[in-house]
Amino acid sequence: MPKVTINGTEIEVEKGTTLLRAAAQAGYEVPHFCYHPALSIPANCRMCLVEVEGNWKLQPACYSEVTDGMVVNTKSDRVVKAQKAVLEFILVNHPVDCPICDQAGECKLQDYYMAYDAQESRLRTEKQSKVKVFPIGPEVLYDGERCILCTRCVRFCEEITGTNELTIVQRGDSAEIRTFPGRELDNDYSVCTADICPVGALTSRDFRFKCRVWLLSSTDSVCTGCSRGCNIHLEHFRNEIQRYRPRYNPQVNDYWMCDAGRLTYKEAHEDRLLRPMNNGVQLNWHAVGEATADKLRRVLKDDGAATMAFVVSPQASCEDLFLAREFATKVLGTTNFYLGGKADGDSDDFLIEADKNPNREGLSQVFGGLDDLKTAVQLLQDLEEGTLSSLYMMESHLPFDSGERTRFIDALDQLDLFILQAQHRSDLAAKAHLALPTCSHAETSGTFVNSQGIHQRFDQAFAPHGQSLPHWQIFTRLSKALDAPLEYTFVHQVQKEMFPAPEEEDDAAQPAE
Amino acid sequence: MGNVTVKNVDRIKQTLWEKSYIPEILRGLSVTTSHFFRNLNPNKEKRTIFTREYPEVITEYPERYRGLHRLMLRDDGQVRCVACMCCSTICPADCIHIEAGEHDDPTIEKYPTVFVIDELRCIVCGLCVEACPCDAIRMDSGRHIPPSLERDEAFFDRDLLMELGGLSEAKQGGQR
Amino acid sequence: MAEILLSVVKIAVIVFGFVMLVASLMTLLGDRKQSAKIQNRIGPNQARFFGFSLAGIPHFLADGIKMILKENVTPAQSNKFLHTIAPGLVFVPALVGWAVVPFMDHYCTGTVQTLPQMNYTEVCVGGEWKNYFSIMHFNSGLLFAFAIAAVSVYGAAIAGWASNSKFSLLGGLRSSAQMISYEVSMGLSLAGVLMIYGTLNLNEMVRMQGNMFGDWLPMWGVVVQPLAFFLFFLAGLAETKRAPFDLPEDESVIVAGYITEYSSMKFAMMQLSEYAATVFIAALIAVIFLGGWQVPYVYADGIRFLDNHWVPFGEDAWYWISIFLRIGAMVFKILFLVWLQFMMRWTLPRFRYDQVMTLGWKILLPLSIANLFVTALVLAIL
Ligand code: SF4
Ligand code: SF4
Ligand code: SF4
Ligand code: SF4
Ligand code: FES
Repeated sequence: MPKVTINGTEIEVEKGTTLLRAAAQAGYEVPHFCYHPALSIPANCRMCLVEVEGNWKLQPACYSEVTDGMVVNTKSDRVVKAQKAVLEFILVNHPVDCPICDQAGECKLQDYYMAYDAQESRLRTEKQSKVKVFPIGPEVLYDGERCILCTRCVRFCEEITGTNELTIVQRGDSAEIRTFPGRELDNDYSVCTADICPVGALTSRDFRFKCRVWLLSSTDSVCTGCSRGCNIHLEHFRNEIQRYRPRYNPQVNDYWMCDAGRLTYKEAHEDRLLRPMNNGVQLNWHAVGEATADKLRRVLKDDGAATMAFVVSPQASCEDLFLAREFATKVLGTTNFYLGGKADGDSDDFLIEADKNPNREGLSQVFGGLDDLKTAVQLLQDLEEGTLSSLYMMESHLPFDSGERTRFIDALDQLDLFILQAQHRSDLAAKAHLALPTCSHAETSGTFVNSQGIHQRFDQAFAPHGQSLPHWQIFTRLSKALDAPLEYTFVHQVQKEMFPAPEEEDDAAQPAE
Repeated sequence: MGNVTVKNVDRIKQTLWEKSYIPEILRGLSVTTSHFFRNLNPNKEKRTIFTREYPEVITEYPERYRGLHRLMLRDDGQVRCVACMCCSTICPADCIHIEAGEHDDPTIEKYPTVFVIDELRCIVCGLCVEACPCDAIRMDSGRHIPPSLERDEAFFDRDLLMELGGLSEAKQGGQR
Repeated sequence: MAEILLSVVKIAVIVFGFVMLVASLMTLLGDRKQSAKIQNRIGPNQARFFGFSLAGIPHFLADGIKMILKENVTPAQSNKFLHTIAPGLVFVPALVGWAVVPFMDHYCTGTVQTLPQMNYTEVCVGGEWKNYFSIMHFNSGLLFAFAIAAVSVYGAAIAGWASNSKFSLLGGLRSSAQMISYEVSMGLSLAGVLMIYGTLNLNEMVRMQGNMFGDWLPMWGVVVQPLAFFLFFLAGLAETKRAPFDLPEDESVIVAGYITEYSSMKFAMMQLSEYAATVFIAALIAVIFLGGWQVPYVYADGIRFLDNHWVPFGEDAWYWISIFLRIGAMVFKILFLVWLQFMMRWTLPRFRYDQVMTLGWKILLPLSIANLFVTALVLAIL
């Protein structure tokens, strides 16, 4: 294993390690634009130049591999001079319109200017002007003036998605990123280019001008768009999710996530059911707890538990499902479980999975396999045959087409009792005798198990909207009202019961982007 | 504990003269009496009355008085603000609400579709003016915040603030 | 019959024409305008008659109207009867005391002669003295005045107790404790004066003050008993419960003390009687220490200074001029003392309660006793 000395620190690294990574391991930052750990290394921006003893020329740290006995200096006068020169060169034609740039606050150029340059502009020539707002794809806009031509975006389309939409056109200071003729940047991962763009040249149409990044708070979470469960930074401002940004996890999603998943945050804020409803009348939790308990008692007495259907949802977290099982079996005394959830959708061989529910695997683990659960089709049949007298449902998603859904809604009329715990107002919630508001994954914490069987925690970002509560808390409340309390107060108590031995948190350190 | 240090502060000793309070009371009386008679002087110039009889006599505000905000205009009369939210970020009273929108003109790109200042909440610190990179917001309108009977009347929106605005001397887009 | 009519006229003129007017105007001028001048302000001037602010007098009328129109609130748990009569109990004594205050010497139906050889004593030759200028000629007038002043403490204490509020009760207790403490030194400080003048009749007392030391120094109380004057002035301030002795209404501690639960005219009466008490104390000080209606060197039969004697405008005319001069002097002295009390009020910060008690019992009382002994000693030696 080669030994290098970086700024006087001796360190032993794997063979084939680049200088930039070795310096990072030794605790030194080497500024870089074009280098991205998941992409190939073109070494075109020259920001990462370092001095290697015995070499007359400065070397690009992103590209040069260490050799034994190398002595490297990342802070020598020559390096500092080179860094200033590179930044000045980049800024020759850069518009520096940070006030209207969405990247400002997380911009590498801004940060590096402050850290490595911080000198006044010496240029008195007109800047090159280019098209400022170029719609390069349905989700992404391109600003040619801000682009520093690092080609991260081009390489992403070549190497990660393999769709090859982007290229550089023109030369010198006229050079710009464009799509090949007749194409646009419309692959399913196109917004990732806005993430990896070190400056504000590529911006996401959805997030554009919505919020300044310095106002955002970030919470580690998991995307609920499909059963892949990409890790995300859930970024929010004033109790509202503003955007998702992929969080590095080499086992699941690496640095990426799909465009559809990015937009699923909207569900958390659209058309929310905010207060408990009893036949269309708003109630508070205390009153609704009593009312629900009364109705459940009556139905259980009149019809017995056997004719009660309990629909569990793979949209809910493991903690919610665990308490659903406890509640149904121990408090209601029914084992008549049906499986809800969203219908399957598109998939590809990279990240997107056909199963659009984030926690089917977790549900299967909580219920010991999916075999004991009846399907949604079975539910519709049972309802129409009239063998069910009451229905308790988690979330309003069912894998139905529109015809089946209409039939299902009509069939609900003959039920004695229909209780729905749902996040959104919908046709189902309107039918429910009792509609209890639940909160999104941003407003609580819990665990999803993705399609690969990996347990993934997500954290609470902000307080629940309105009077909504997590599913598991609704179950504990109702169990108390029914005089068979499930004694859980905090989510970690549930987790302790579910996962007896605490799992080792898989904290993969994220290499510098 | 053991490391508590005690500092003994001696009482200030008063002499009998001071303790009788009489000289001090007389001194106080002489001050108040002199004020009293000075302010009865028939020559109003010689009185030292500081009261400003506001609605009758309106005092000119000094040039650098921080008053009602105004939003400056571009040469073509559009709002100069680019909705960078620097002002609303720095505002300690959190009273500036901005919603940004895409402008039809690509050279402008971003402009505020909504820009509301809650002048009731504003503590008139002037930090927003300092923060603005575009000389788009100023507080030199020379007017104080007008009193209002309703809270909403103190919400000054973009167009109202622009009515007070004017052209800035700073070159648009800065010096190149 | 004529006697009764005369008394009614005197009561009307003195109590309503003078005391009430001065007391209520003081609420305006003393409390508002005077403080404004001291603090370099203008004071109230926005209420106007035909565009004239008239030194703020319309404010005072507006205040009166406001007080009358305000809702009269009686706390639910209070003792309604006592709560209602308490303002009267405070108000009446403040006025009754005026019965013995002389505004001028008795009227002489004959001619008045001043006898320089008898230390400038005035005698009425060929006629008799008629009491036209004080409501009541009373030989123990001073005792009467004190007795009445002492009664007003009941009003405050009862108001405090009847309101059924902790603040009121504390205010009532403070006021009774304070008034009783200062009553003691007040009385003792006067004992020396009594020894010198040898009379309780206030008009007699004023006459004695027309006497001269060595033909040029009037024997006013303040001259013969300077310490007593000082003690009496202090104790008087404390007695009227005005700043710096307004502990019973200590607004930063007990809201408004015993008047916390009063509103409307009851409140106004409480306030007014405090001002009336201020004027009354001023009148007492004027009578006892500042020579009452006496104007130095001005006598009913002319001006005498050392051995000179002038009679401007002739004997008869001069008698009337001297009467007006003397009434004027009395009124002026009262107003000056009121003004002085208000100056004190706007100069000094409020005492702490323990300081008030220390001052009363540990300083004023021993001093007044010492003053008494020294006076007695000097008198015995002379
Ligand atoms: S890319 Fe960076 S430096 Fe350029 S305008 Fe945007 S924030 Fe400023
Ligand atoms: S658009 Fe962004 S990522 Fe692409 S070349 Fe330009 S700066 Fe680099
Ligand atoms: S003056 Fe201060 S408080 Fe007022 S809007 Fe500006 S930054 Fe906010
Ligand atoms: S700082 Fe200036 S340009 Fe930015 S939003 Fe405020 S007023 Fe507009
Ligand atoms: S040249 Fe090394 S990061 Fe760009």
